[in-house]
Amino acid sequence: MSEAAASAHADHGHHEPAGFWSHYVFSTDHKMIGRQFLFLGLFMLIIGGTLAMLIRWQLAWPETEVPGMGWVPEPTMYEGIIPPNTYNMLFTMHATIMIFFVVMPVMVGGFGNFLIPIMIGAKDMAFPLLNMLSFWVGAVAGVIMVASFFVVGGAAAGGWTSYTPLTGDAVFTGVNWGINLWVLSLFVLAFSSLMGSINYITTVINMRAPGMTYFRMPLSIWSLFITAILLLLALPVLTAALGMLFFDRVFATNFFLPAGGMPLLWQHLFWFFGHPEVYILVLPAMGVTSDILSVFSRKPIFGYRAMAYSMIAIAFLSWIVWGHHMFLSGMNPLLGTAFMLTTMVIAVPSAIKTFNWLGTLWGGSIRFTVPLLFAIGFVSNFVIGGLSGIFMASTPVDIFIHDTYFIVAHFHYVVAGIIFAMFAAIYFWFPKMFGRMMNSTWGIVHFIGTYIFFNLTFFPMHFLGVGGHMRRIYNPMQYEYLEQFGDMNVFITISAFLLAISQIPFIVNFVWSLFAGEKASENPWEANTLEWSAPSPPPHGNFATTPQVYRGPYEYSVPGVEEDWLPQDRPLGAAAATGH
Amino acid sequence: MLAKSEFHEEGFELAMMSWLPENVSTYGGQIDYLFYLIYYITAAALIIVTVLMVAFLIVYRQRAGRKAVYIHGNTALEVTWTVVPAVILLLLSFMSISTWGEIKIYAPPAEYEVRVVGKQFNWDVFHPGPDGKLGTKDDIKIENEVHVPVDKVVHVQLQASDVIHSFFVPNFRVKQDAVPGRNILVWFEVTKPGKYELPCAELCGFGHSGMLGWVFVHTPEDYEKFLKENQG
Amino acid sequence: MAREATARSSSGDGVETLAHASAFGGGPPPPSQAEPVISNARLGLMMFIGAEVMFFAGLIGAFLVLRLSSEVWPPPAQPRLPVWITGFNTVVLLCSGLAMHRASLAARLRDRLRLSGWLLATAVLGALFLCIQGYEWVRLIGFGLTMRSGLYGSTFYALIGLHGLHVLGALVWVGVVWFLARQGSYASDQAAGVELCAMYWMFVVALWPVLYGLVYLY
Ligand code: HEA
Ligand code: HEA
Ligand code: CUA
Ligand SMILES: [Cu+2]
Repeated sequence: MSEAAASAHADHGHHEPAGFWSHYVFSTDHKMIGRQFLFLGLFMLIIGGTLAMLIRWQLAWPETEVPGMGWVPEPTMYEGIIPPNTYNMLFTMHATIMIFFVVMPVMVGGFGNFLIPIMIGAKDMAFPLLNMLSFWVGAVAGVIMVASFFVVGGAAAGGWTSYTPLTGDAVFTGVNWGINLWVLSLFVLAFSSLMGSINYITTVINMRAPGMTYFRMPLSIWSLFITAILLLLALPVLTAALGMLFFDRVFATNFFLPAGGMPLLWQHLFWFFGHPEVYILVLPAMGVTSDILSVFSRKPIFGYRAMAYSMIAIAFLSWIVWGHHMFLSGMNPLLGTAFMLTTMVIAVPSAIKTFNWLGTLWGGSIRFTVPLLFAIGFVSNFVIGGLSGIFMASTPVDIFIHDTYFIVAHFHYVVAGIIFAMFAAIYFWFPKMFGRMMNSTWGIVHFIGTYIFFNLTFFPMHFLGVGGHMRRIYNPMQYEYLEQFGDMNVFITISAFLLAISQIPFIVNFVWSLFAGEKASENPWEANTLEWSAPSPPPHGNFATTPQVYRGPYEYSVPGVEEDWLPQDRPLGAAAATGH
Repeated sequence: MLAKSEFHEEGFELAMMSWLPENVSTYGGQIDYLFYLIYYITAAALIIVTVLMVAFLIVYRQRAGRKAVYIHGNTALEVTWTVVPAVILLLLSFMSISTWGEIKIYAPPAEYEVRVVGKQFNWDVFHPGPDGKLGTKDDIKIENEVHVPVDKVVHVQLQASDVIHSFFVPNFRVKQDAVPGRNILVWFEVTKPGKYELPCAELCGFGHSGMLGWVFVHTPEDYEKFLKENQG
Repeated sequence: MAREATARSSSGDGVETLAHASAFGGGPPPPSQAEPVISNARLGLMMFIGAEVMFFAGLIGAFLVLRLSSEVWPPPAQPRLPVWITGFNTVVLLCSGLAMHRASLAARLRDRLRLSGWLLATAVLGALFLCIQGYEWVRLIGFGLTMRSGLYGSTFYALIGLHGLHVLGALVWVGVVWFLARQGSYASDQAAGVELCAMYWMFVVALWPVLYGLVYLY
């Protein structure tokens, strides 16, 4: 936020609270809350990424001193050498932070907040105060999560899936308060996301501008809407499970412990939440990708309704596939067969989306901007990750690749692939969020480095997995059959470091553009959706007058219209271009 | 289509699959077959999508004087690319079902039995001993060593005493979680004598990495020798 | 898109934003816009109840799985649950639901006296429910049924206790509404405050027979 924003507010003369605290900190303006979530997520990305680098160091050069880490006190590290339990903490916290405090805050919290009201032509969310609380409760959860590094015994070390009985009793991991805080943090986060999702759903249902029918909503909004419904229904199940886990740990009950309870029950509850969760992560990414591809192909999205329906199908099916994480857990093998079938079915809507993206590019007039490049990067990674999912969906093949790096490769292509969509969205909406453009040359440098090193990091993990390299192992050199993979692990690690270094242009570009970027016009990308008819950045209340929507969001290159775009709120004389 | 067991020797090994460890169990070939099949299907899908994407990006880049096509979709195309993947995926499922059933549902009768108990951070292995029966006094308990005969159907009674572990023998294409409080049946039949690594594949605490055993697959003579050595 | 039918009518309206004036309730929609079918607050509460349903579904699912996988239930050494007195308690809670129903009718009719009367009745019945339950808990603990005494105790206290907490929360809300009603709020045209509270109370009441059936009777 800069003077640009401040002056825009001044011009507008709303009776907006002027104080620093109520403007920047306890703001109830959806745009400011969106920015807060964005900053929170990006900050956590640095933490999560740093943890990933430590993981990679250990895997490439096991039990050697990590440069620059000599200061870390024992027993977390021994003169810079990572001990086994610390390694477990590293990947547990890496995953938890990346999923719950990077992807969710940025894609759902950040862009969800920023985009929903303004893209449907509303002045704000339905419950602005709740919205503010949602951010601050989420921030508290983040603080608890990070604080868990500093308690006696260290942070959670049971994997992000936190399987019981391992995590059901402190004796098994040696971590007591670390895991308690982990549970507590996610419990608190569930309230944040509850408030957020109630807000999103209500806003989408009730606050659309005149003329904004459901099937005129941009796909970003569709995706966020569906995501919010999934969040609303999935997180409470996790909350219930976390509650029982907490009881087991603190009050010595036996829900998930073999003495009386059922260890597998945790897995069922966790994955019943967990599988919808992965789609919670990816749906917003799919939504923004669709919008960006259409804008820069200067072409309507291919199969708009199919895109919306396939997201709805994914949302429904995601409730009945959780067992594919448990094929080898000791669950009844007949159930395994059933879950294989549902899992194969859920790949179909993803296929529809992929081909519709291709269809959107076909016949376009493609402008190679930074957001477009990242959107393409997302599609390309999603296809690789999705296709590797098919291997695991086949139960017999999963016997071999379960819990190997093949899985790690799969989910990084999909979940870490979301980071591409996140960057696409940041470059795309930065002008609207902050009133300035980001530098596109550096953006291209950022893209090329990220794309290349992302693939060099994660693609070879498929080979490791095929070779039987387990995940979550501290030192692969303890196994004879994995000795051959030493070099490959070094290669992956170096790629991962280069991937991290490739983010530096982004950080510099982002910070520099915030304060000194070129001033953005109202509609720098010549896009159709409503946010682009508001000033950059939009004032409190977004629109001078409530916009009237005349058509769908993707009317690009309409025959008979002079420019190759046609904003949703621009009236056209006669019956011309009423959409399709 | 190629016979399942021949598949491996056909020289089709492409980059990724050449890392697959040697298979020495009877049903491993079927798993590998499915693995290859999916590999080719997905590789083809990946190539198609990538080639089309790159081609579109080049051909339809912005150029002066050309406007994008104004089109919202194409029902015939959309139906095609819904139905084709659906059919492929369902076929894959049905092919997987029989193999899965054979491995995890219908185990052939045991010709040899051992009990393996995972605990932090070792495998306790109970062999039947000279009387050939488990659960009798002459059982032979060895840490981290499973001794089994070659070419016999082996049943493993898999248990765990504290947390969940996972019994993984890459060369056998065997993996199964061991759950405390449960007795889970794992079976395999090995076709080649030798010594194979048995890592634990489920996070089980700070000693998970390095929780490692060995499976010794003996010829009948070797097995007799093993029994003699471990008597008394 | 051919969905013009659902499009709302419009006319330009001022920039005035009421967002922070009545932030929590969401503020009224812009004057020119057609009133949404379900108001923001109501819709939001419905979402919240949906989430609560999933929360309890998770717990109930866990309860069922655990109980179906135990050979004997209830375990022999554990005290029996007080079926009859809790049955009476169920009636108490259902009556409070009825009272709440009357209260919201009264609110709609702007009948201030009846409104606060029925709200008070709701609150008293709810409090009675909690008291009886608390008393039973003290006795059960005395008999040795605790959170740690096995799965039977853990699931019992988790499910029933979490429901009790919800009743307590709802009770506080009813209390606030009652207080406001006595002060004369809701007298004019805003029955919404009462109706939201009623909706949540009904949820808490309706959940109980399910839990009673599962935990005490089944
Ligand atoms: C955003 C996240 C995301 C997404 C979108 C997906 C998508 C899919 N996932 Fe993935 N998955 C994860 C995140 C995700 N996953 C995570 C985090 C884990 C590990 C958790 C842990 O254990 O820690 C995991 C684990 C996981 C497992 C468990 C593996 C194991 O532990 O043994 C399985 C098994 O079936 C699976 C399957 C699938 C499938 C079939 C899809 C499908 O939806 C993919 C569909 C997409 C395509 C298929 C590509 C596009 C289609 C075409 C180009 C058409 C042509 C294709 C064909 C004809 C085949 N995933
Ligand atoms: C959104 C989710 C997400 C994201 C984005 C990532 C990103 C990355 N992950 Fe992560 N990962 C998971 C989710 C994610 N991961 C999950 C769910 C697991 C499973 C955990 C479990 O088993 O329980 C896992 C596990 C996991 C493992 C396996 C550990 C094991 O099983 O033993 C590895 C190993 O290589 C790894 C590596 C990486 C790397 C190199 C990145 C890189 O993409 C990160 C690159 C980003 C940055 C580095 C940050 C930005 C850079 C800067 C700000 C520059 C300055 C910083 C430095 C120079 C340090 N991850
Ligand atoms: Cu035992 Cu991992
Ligand atoms: Cu899944």
